[in-house]
Amino acid sequence: MKIGLVLPALPAYSETFFTNKIKGLEAQGHSVVLFINKKDNDNGGFSNIKYAPNISKNNLQTIIISLFRLLGAIFFSFNASRKLFTLDKKDNISFKQRIKNIIGSSHILSESVDWLHFGFGTMVFNKENVAGAIGAKMAVSFRGFDIGVYPLKKPNCYSILWKKVDKIHVISDDIKKLLFLHGYCGNAKVVKITPAINTAFFTREQTPTFSNNNFITVARLHWKKGLVATLEALALIKKEGISFHYTIIGEGVALERLKFAVYQLDLENEVTFMGKLPHQKIKENLLASDIYLQYSLQEGFCNAVLEAQALGLLCVVSDAEGLSENVLHNQTGWVVPRNNPKELASKIIEVIKLPKELKQQISQNAQDRVNKVFNLTKQQQAFLRFYEEE
Amino acid sequence: MKKNTKIAIYSGVIPSTTFIERLIHELSKNDVRVYLFGQKTKPVKKSKNIYYITYSNRVHKFLLFLKYTLLLLVFKAKEKKKLDKIIRSKKKNLRHLKTKYYPVLYHHPDIFHLQWAKSVEDWMWVQNFGIKLVVSLRGAHINYSPITDKNLANSYTSLFPEVDHFHAVSKAIKNEAIKYNAPEKKIKVVYSGLDLNAIKFHEKLFASKTPLHIISVGRAHWIKGYTYALKSIHQLKKMNVSCHYTIIGATNNEELLYQRWLLGLENDVQFIDKMPFKNVLQAIKKADVLLLPSLKEGIANVVLEAMALGTLVVSTDCGGMHEVIVDSKNGFLVPTRNPNAIANSLKEVANLPLERYLNMTKEARKTVTEQHNISKTMQDMQDLYAEVLKE
Repeated sequence: MKIGLVLPALPAYSETFFTNKIKGLEAQGHSVVLFINKKDNDNGGFSNIKYAPNISKNNLQTIIISLFRLLGAIFFSFNASRKLFTLDKKDNISFKQRIKNIIGSSHILSESVDWLHFGFGTMVFNKENVAGAIGAKMAVSFRGFDIGVYPLKKPNCYSILWKKVDKIHVISDDIKKLLFLHGYCGNAKVVKITPAINTAFFTREQTPTFSNNNFITVARLHWKKGLVATLEALALIKKEGISFHYTIIGEGVALERLKFAVYQLDLENEVTFMGKLPHQKIKENLLASDIYLQYSLQEGFCNAVLEAQALGLLCVVSDAEGLSENVLHNQTGWVVPRNNPKELASKIIEVIKLPKELKQQISQNAQDRVNKVFNLTKQQQAFLRFYEEE
Repeated sequence: MKKNTKIAIYSGVIPSTTFIERLIHELSKNDVRVYLFGQKTKPVKKSKNIYYITYSNRVHKFLLFLKYTLLLLVFKAKEKKKLDKIIRSKKKNLRHLKTKYYPVLYHHPDIFHLQWAKSVEDWMWVQNFGIKLVVSLRGAHINYSPITDKNLANSYTSLFPEVDHFHAVSKAIKNEAIKYNAPEKKIKVVYSGLDLNAIKFHEKLFASKTPLHIISVGRAHWIKGYTYALKSIHQLKKMNVSCHYTIIGATNNEELLYQRWLLGLENDVQFIDKMPFKNVLQAIKKADVLLLPSLKEGIANVVLEAMALGTLVVSTDCGGMHEVIVDSKNGFLVPTRNPNAIANSLKEVANLPLERYLNMTKEARKTVTEQHNISKTMQDMQDLYAEVLKE
């Protein structure tokens, strides 16, 4: 079987779920072709990559590339291009947009695959009929932001997609619920495959003693990660006279906002921003911490929480979408209603005060469950079934 | 001030903000020669005593550079040499700096008034040529940028003691500047003023204010604290206070859209696009209460406008807001980052008897009339310049 994956960029090292999925499929004798939007200097070890035309700028170069791609599509992928044009016409897409769609998908139209799988819901825009045009089945993954936030900005943005898709992949049950909330009522099967992590890398040797109050979060500095609310909770904990230290690993647009919050909440001695770190360093920092916090407002599933659990940290997370599946409340960690710093603060205080044996029990439960449920082999098998089963 | 004093009002772009444009206009009326350097983004009307030394595109900019290089070579060669030495010591684009600096050196104003503190390092050199440097302290440049950017803070700390004079838009900002070594006696607080003849007081006549019509105005930036406002509306609903909340100028923001959805407020909260000043005033006038949920402000102009119009204000106690609002007298002050406190305050407004509402809004109008009228502001600015020139 040949599977085409449509992704914004080549999977980064941290996106283990993509890389692992591809390796797994290839190991089973399937071939995988990657359709990538943004060109990278490094091919990341992938052999079969097709790049989308770079037509984002408004200049002469764009016009030339567009013409070149259009002619190429007409000459070398005549049937597929014609089919795309007719299918788009049936959906009442304007002539200009139909031509643009041929250009924008020219790298896909020249290929023949059994499955065309879009890595995020938002990747499908203007490509709704491409799978149909090349005679492939269409699969779409929904991972969080694409179904949690994007439709609030652009209501009904998936109305055409819902009619075309053959199979939908979601990473948690809550994401599945959001599909229906945002207008999905089709017949395509919705399959949940949770992310997985490299459990061989994320292991610890010694039993944690939880003797310090070292808190940590690994996240992109973005509003949806709920870091301001986390800091507000920590300010309440400080007021209770509890001493602690909080490390934030990651970079992003919210840095200024977070630094200001740290200043205004008088947490300058308690909080350290580490910036972006390589995997090994992240692991070292996690191992030096006791409690992992992930108080997101919106979250598809969150690999960072899986990694923290695998390393035996006590995880206190919000109930945003996939997080309550990621962490089982009172068994492998604690789940707190999102958006409420007071509740987070009291839960953290409660966790700090637990007896050491109970903390170690929860930590062990988390490690066991992640090893058993969220390992790479399991994920690979699930994806094989996804494409092979009807 | 002496006639024909030369003052450069520098904000980098022409035309500038409402306040700065008004200042320019007012100075020129009083026989001060106002020099404006920088990039012209819109056509401007010629007027007496205002001198534009501007460029609008790259070619224009290059010609300006050539013109002033030549003028300096012919008339002020020694000064040019001295300035070139200063320019060479900076590790920046030399020609860009020369284009910026040469016209200023040639016209040699008595005062160079820098509107945005962040570029203070770029303009310290004017003092080497006997030009007095005045710096305005307002907005992000003093409120949070130096807090989150340690390099900027260090630069402020080493340069602020040298600046000839500061203009601070609130006492709170004056205190912020002192933290960066600005000498206290060199900072003059000049409150921004409104043209109160153009903003008439409107006496509210409602019998009952339910549903409470709440409004906020301003772009969707985190410093504005709108997420706390949304949470407070959620609280209000739980308290069974019927209300409707509008934010003008905050459309299409993912975080706010998400919070509104999460809190189930889609029917209670409306985000609308920014609109002309005239329409904003109309909208504030129609609302029962203006809410300012900001994390930090100088003194928010929109609050002054609401106070002038007769719309009651609920504001966070941040920055200089307490210099205008006295809690429960001419408005309400609540702590920052506290949705419960905002909700309680809004509920109090919803239950205010009309008489008390009017007493408070009249007090508010009195406050802005005394403290924030445009003629006082302009007089204060001119006093500031006179003081600088006496030094």
